[in-house]
Amino acid sequence: MIGIVGAKAISSVDNMGRFARFIWHSMIASFRSCRNTHTYSLICAQMYFIGVRSVPVVMITGAFVGMTLSIQTYGQLAGMGLQEYLGSLINIAVVKELGPVLTAVMLAGRIGGALTAELGTMNVTEQIDAIRSMGTDPVKYLVAPRILACLLLTPVLIVFADLMGIIGGYLVSVVQLGINSRAYWLHSADTVEKWDVFIGIVKGLFFGASIAAISCYKGFTCKEGAQGVGQACTEAFVASFISILALDFALVVISKAIYDTFWPLRSMV
Amino acid sequence: MKKNYDNNLDMEKSTNGMLTVKNLTKMFGTNVVLDNISLNIEKGKTTVIIGPSGCGKTVLVKHLIVLLRPNSGEVYFKKHRIDNLSENKLNNIRTHYGFLFQGGALFDSLNVTENIIFPIRQHCEITDWKEVEELVKSKLAMVGLDGFQQFYPSNLSGGQQKRVALARAIALNPEIILYDEPTTGLDPIRSDVINELVLKLQKELSVTSVVVTHDMKSAYKIADRIVMLHNGKIIADGNADHIRNHPHPVVQQFISGQVGEDDIAVLRMSGAISQTQFLPRDFE
Repeated sequence: MIGIVGAKAISSVDNMGRFARFIWHSMIASFRSCRNTHTYSLICAQMYFIGVRSVPVVMITGAFVGMTLSIQTYGQLAGMGLQEYLGSLINIAVVKELGPVLTAVMLAGRIGGALTAELGTMNVTEQIDAIRSMGTDPVKYLVAPRILACLLLTPVLIVFADLMGIIGGYLVSVVQLGINSRAYWLHSADTVEKWDVFIGIVKGLFFGASIAAISCYKGFTCKEGAQGVGQACTEAFVASFISILALDFALVVISKAIYDTFWPLRSMV
Repeated sequence: MKKNYDNNLDMEKSTNGMLTVKNLTKMFGTNVVLDNISLNIEKGKTTVIIGPSGCGKTVLVKHLIVLLRPNSGEVYFKKHRIDNLSENKLNNIRTHYGFLFQGGALFDSLNVTENIIFPIRQHCEITDWKEVEELVKSKLAMVGLDGFQQFYPSNLSGGQQKRVALARAIALNPEIILYDEPTTGLDPIRSDVINELVLKLQKELSVTSVVVTHDMKSAYKIADRIVMLHNGKIIADGNADHIRNHPHPVVQQFISGQVGEDDIAVLRMSGAISQTQFLPRDFE
């Protein structure tokens, strides 16, 4: 029993070490790719696949988040006679938390799975070995463009999600629930600050990098066969999801500490 | 087309030993795949490595290009030790190699032309695309597939994929070509086409070839030298006649393609063959 636990512990530490080395190698390759114009075409191709083609699904996600939040919170606020503050609550939640996190989760499923499956299939069919045998660094050729594309475009996608969340929340609140439009926007403007939008977008940088890094690592290290690739895709999504939640928590703590230092707490009422 | 890779390795006077492996041991977990192997690959010759499935042939040939690193031992390319180099330094050395993988390993998202020019794009400054098109045409003509430039790997047969992969392997005019089971999965005629290509490339490009195979017909046709692996060790090393007349019973069993009594006993114990169905005397 102790032997099994010990072996598991050693294996986990070993995996973490390999992942850390992979991240370091990927970071170096990504920085070098920014300066190498030959890689721009690869980065653009990934930006199209990761960013442009994700816009519709991200916008749908954002819209439904805003609409659902509106329906769910109206009852509680109306009971206290505070329904006109619905805009504040919806928009702050969308912009600070739900927009970034749910966008990242959507991307982890859509993009992360695709990256892991693609690189995993290349791994088991020796295409990655073929790249190495031709004197090319596979991390530079395959991983760096994907990490850069995710890093740059996840914040942009979050902006789309936030926009649709705000619009969706507005449509349900004002058109369906009859909230006064002017009051809706006035209270939103009072509550939602530029800092909130900024933090939501900064979260996108970390989420995007983690989704790409984890998915590419799982693809590079997957076991042989279809089962190995499938298992790697599942592990990539789970690990990406957990990392999104953990990073979100960490960034919330850090951002709150920074905000409280420079802008001490003021009343919203 | 300007080359971006380094030919400084030619400064050293090369001996007949193009590639040398010294006391190489490789383990996967506790499984010893290669056990203290030493081998010298001669320049300009075709060395064929044979052995039963799972004996470590592919593992050995991957060490020659350092796609795998040994647990102990050394690998030399033209007197330069390469098994301890970083991946960055190895990138330059690997431009002297071409590797034909068992499944071809063509990039699915790229067509034939893009596959072949991949190594050229990575290592050369392309100024004249007409020159590149002519080069692709010539490489495809060498393997008998001129006209297939716009095809994707999924539109090619297994034999065609192997030939395109071979055209890609020779795109940078390498000094060494490594072949990992080049005829596996092909019909006898296509297999012989690959054999002829191996001979043709050796003659026209003066390359050093290392071929991993368990196809004895192929081995006898193309080999200047045959090396047999068994249980992680080299048990036979010589030309085709030497191997045909080798006294080691394992060598004779392998080259004749005869199942042994031990294997039949294992099959009987597992219930795969009934006692009365299949007896060694049936071979007599």
